[in-house]
Amino acid sequence: MSKIIVGRYIPGNSIVYKMDPRGKILACFLFIVVIFLANNWLTYALITIFTFLAVIATGLRPKTFWDGVRPFVWIIFFTALLQLFFSPGGKIYWQWTVFSISSYGIVSSIYLFIRFLMIILISTVLTVTTTSLQIADGIEWILNPLKYIKVPVAEIALVLSIALRFVPTLMDETVKIANAQRARGADFSNGSLIQRAKAVIPILIPLFTNSLTVALDLATAMESRGYRENSVRSRYRVLKWTKYDLLNLGFFLLLVLLLIIFRTK
Amino acid sequence: MNKRNLTLKKMVLLAVLVAINIILQKISFGPAYLKVGLGFLGLTILGYYFGPFWGGIGAGISDLAMASIFGVEGGFFPGFTISAIISGVIYGFFFYQKPIKIWRIIVASLLVTIIVNLCLNTYWLHVLYGLNLRAAFLQRVLKELITPWIQMIVIYLVLKALQRVKIVDKF
Repeated sequence: MSKIIVGRYIPGNSIVYKMDPRGKILACFLFIVVIFLANNWLTYALITIFTFLAVIATGLRPKTFWDGVRPFVWIIFFTALLQLFFSPGGKIYWQWTVFSISSYGIVSSIYLFIRFLMIILISTVLTVTTTSLQIADGIEWILNPLKYIKVPVAEIALVLSIALRFVPTLMDETVKIANAQRARGADFSNGSLIQRAKAVIPILIPLFTNSLTVALDLATAMESRGYRENSVRSRYRVLKWTKYDLLNLGFFLLLVLLLIIFRTK
Repeated sequence: MNKRNLTLKKMVLLAVLVAINIILQKISFGPAYLKVGLGFLGLTILGYYFGPFWGGIGAGISDLAMASIFGVEGGFFPGFTISAIISGVIYGFFFYQKPIKIWRIIVASLLVTIIVNLCLNTYWLHVLYGLNLRAAFLQRVLKELITPWIQMIVIYLVLKALQRVKIVDKF
């Protein structure tokens, strides 16, 4: 439990760090959309090149990205394998009951592998080069249009930033509670499944009551500093577009254009 | 209290529960061959205290906050945010201001498992990675046959324990 690392942000100084989080989130999100456009070797190669350019532009060591991919290596591998066995079509090389290896299966499992890897790499680029507060500000900006369908965006933004602030604190708290219970004989890693399920409660309930106290204190503190619901407030942390975002989004637009040109109809 | 507007205290409580949910997502228990994540528990607590509307919003916020702190397994995709929101809504619908009954827990868990984990999430995987639907379904179905029953037990134990925590009356 203590091995959980909060935040994947790694400080750096390359151009990716100077880009606006809104632009980065948009590009990352739209990347997942435009990856659907890829349907032949050339377009998959374009996506791979784009991703690796983004990875190189961060100026971080390859190990950082390997750490991002490593937890998923088996899932990717297993998924690609399933895709290989369950997609009949084209020339069939090998068959046994419902399993078959066909030329279509081979190609589509390789595409799937590339897609999986590129999506993970691009999101690693985003989370490694942007602090979680910046991402929260970016998300708030992106959610803004939802105001028109009566989604309480301002409240969501407040809840999001308080939650981000409290994750590390409560994480420490959780480790402390678990250790305190362990010191008095609690056992979290032995016994039947039901016993282990029961073992969750001595951690969860103290964590919960502690956080209720934290919430009450924080609400009182915020009110005493002049926070009022539904009142107009100014912003201290302001996001600014820079010339690097032109580079980011322009580059992305180029990728989309190339994908549209080269994909098979 | 107006259904759409939360008081500041409630809002801060929601934020803290979202933080707890994020931490629970990172914790799993059970032997190595069958790890059960605790993410469902955070969503249950959100639904239990905040109901379908704000519970759903809280679940959505947790997903976004998770994405910004830890990054998401295999890339951020808004489909999974929608899945989280729907789970929050289902738990809220079954647990909010209702007595804790075993059938409620069973129905809510099964609905979440079938609608969200088996149907929606499989569909998102299909959309996101171009995965064959049948292959994606097969990959998930084995785990989803086992975990809901364990989840029900944990939900029952935790909701019973939460009932004893009277401090919530201060909000």
